Amino acid sequence: MKGFRIRRILIERGAESDSLTKRVLDELPNAPREHVEPYELAPCENIEEMDKESLRIIHFKGEFLKPCPGTKRYICCGYKILNVGSNCPLDCSYCYLQSYVNQPSLRIFSNLQENLDVIGDIIDSSPDRIFRIGTGEFTDSLSLDFLTGWTDFLLPFFSRRKNCVLELKTKTSSIKSLIASRYRKAIVVAWSLNTPRIIANEEHKTATLKRRILAAQECQKAGFFLGFHFDPLLYYPGWEAGYEQTVQLLERYIAPESVIWISLGSFRYMPSLKRAIKRRFPGTNIFDGEFVAGLDGKFRYFKPIRVEMYGKLSERLDKWHHDLGLYLCMESDDVWRQSLGWSPENSENLCSYLDSRVRKLMGD
Amino acid sequence: MSFSFDLEPLKASIDRFGVLNPPYLLRNSDSHFTVVVGYRRLLAVRELGWSDTVCQILPDDFPPFEALLLNLQDNLVHRRLNSVEKGMVLKRLTRFLEKEEVLANFVPILGIPSNRQTLEQFLGLEELEEAIRISVAMERLSPRVAALMGSLGRDDRLRMNDLFTSLKWSFNQQWEAAQWIVEIASREGRSAKDVIDEGEIVGVLDNERVNNPQKVKSIVKILRARRFPSLVEAEKLFKKGLSGLSLPSGVNIIPAPSFEGIDYKLEIVFTKGGELKEKVAELSHLSGLEKVTEFWKGTEHR
Ligand code: SF4
Repeated sequence: MKGFRIRRILIERGAESDSLTKRVLDELPNAPREHVEPYELAPCENIEEMDKESLRIIHFKGEFLKPCPGTKRYICCGYKILNVGSNCPLDCSYCYLQSYVNQPSLRIFSNLQENLDVIGDIIDSSPDRIFRIGTGEFTDSLSLDFLTGWTDFLLPFFSRRKNCVLELKTKTSSIKSLIASRYRKAIVVAWSLNTPRIIANEEHKTATLKRRILAAQECQKAGFFLGFHFDPLLYYPGWEAGYEQTVQLLERYIAPESVIWISLGSFRYMPSLKRAIKRRFPGTNIFDGEFVAGLDGKFRYFKPIRVEMYGKLSERLDKWHHDLGLYLCMESDDVWRQSLGWSPENSENLCSYLDSRVRKLMGD
Repeated sequence: MSFSFDLEPLKASIDRFGVLNPPYLLRNSDSHFTVVVGYRRLLAVRELGWSDTVCQILPDDFPPFEALLLNLQDNLVHRRLNSVEKGMVLKRLTRFLEKEEVLANFVPILGIPSNRQTLEQFLGLEELEEAIRISVAMERLSPRVAALMGSLGRDDRLRMNDLFTSLKWSFNQQWEAAQWIVEIASREGRSAKDVIDEGEIVGVLDNERVNNPQKVKSIVKILRARRFPSLVEAEKLFKKGLSGLSLPSGVNIIPAPSFEGIDYKLEIVFTKGGELKEKVAELSHLSGLEKVTEFWKGTEHR
């Protein structure tokens, strides 16, 4: 990862003796350490700058497995979030975590491993359900893996279960530990993709498009299933050619048959996020498009613009391969129909559709 | 901590009653004095042509932070600070205290909403050109808009200040228009000044036949159409479609805001039940009504 450095470790009271804490401290023997109280900001933590150089180790008391925060007004995929921590060393201008003003620093939960049994019980108690679980909602799934060793214990834990899949979503090319692992079953490695221009201008410190796709190719060759997320789609003059470049790279390096799903989601934001982004990235162009208030209070591109983007990109992806498990993230029934030509109509049906992808590709 | 004030009432008062509360001064290392409290009183005394007045000299070791608090206390007791002055106070406080502390203990005293964003807006005011500070102090320009201007170049700022102070804008209108100007400029790779000086807006400004509120309305309309070309085009198409329907009088069809939802509302104004029945009957036979949800579609967006 480009230019990433941890300058201090903040250990919250209660986290000292957890296994993950020990591992992180072993990995970073020279980083200065401070002991802090839970919920208390350390003087060094710069809220406005997200303080991506401090690592706060937290003994988490909340729920580790949570439903993805969808809304009734749009069709949601029924994903479950495995809450491993929040914030990440990458620095995407559009990152929605920037509006969580009271949560600076890279935050990792030290007692995750100790709590996996609870998650296992939840999964095992509903054997007829498929649990699609991801760690990439509040952080990048792999950017801190070299420190936390998440994959070392998450892969074996999820691989031995029949009715779940763990998706590791990333913008890095940090796949060393994945490749070294002997577990593949029920694991999806997924990349967020964008155009080379958006990656260069807005996704700071992330891997280039080519590196991401080459990493995906390596994972695919090593036997992992792949997912891709075109999210957030951004509209700018030349967007079509930009996304075309991205799809061409996919075509060139990735075998589509083991792609479990590809999601498309347009850029959306709450007003508080816009303020935070404008402060941290005053030169960004991501707000240039025509945004209108959505039914959930978030701003989205005016509907015909979203339909055009989804329609064209899905058509193009369809040309690559007809069975990629394409779906839209947080969109309405009418937008689905106009862009993809079909709609799951509601969240339950979208869940069933994605579950069927899991069954089809990974077997019962 | 004074900016853009009218000295005449104070002069009149001092002329009649004298300086009732003596100013407080601090001696500098070069034997000159810094006015801690009573700057406006001293100005008035000078303008009245007095050669002397009684002042209190604070001890040499009087802490600067205490001096600042004394000044603030005096100002709050005697008058209402304008927004620029509030910004000046806050800026000085941040030299001694963490912003969080300023936010918690001083921002509320000044009657400013206690949040980080507003604090930042006030902190930036002092950096702006005098013309803009005067507009803010006189409440002709919104402090929020002034803060937004802080991210622009000098010419852009001054042009925007002219636009918003030459007509009668509400602070909300200013905020909406300012954001659109900045975003249009960003999208089109032009300066905010160029966006304002573009023909249509200048045409409105120069039109002597329309009054100021109408000018503001027209400029807002022009900017909105440029900021949201596809949406405005869709609204036009929808309106055109409706007008081609010959809806009964008092009947209107209202789409969801920005066409984001899929529900439409039918509005029927009537005074008697019979009239309602007639209008409903008329509507049920109206050809083209079934296409109403399509009117706005097919917008070519730019
Ligand atoms: S990778 Fe994800 S969590 Fe990290 S900065 Fe980007 S959007 Fe935020």
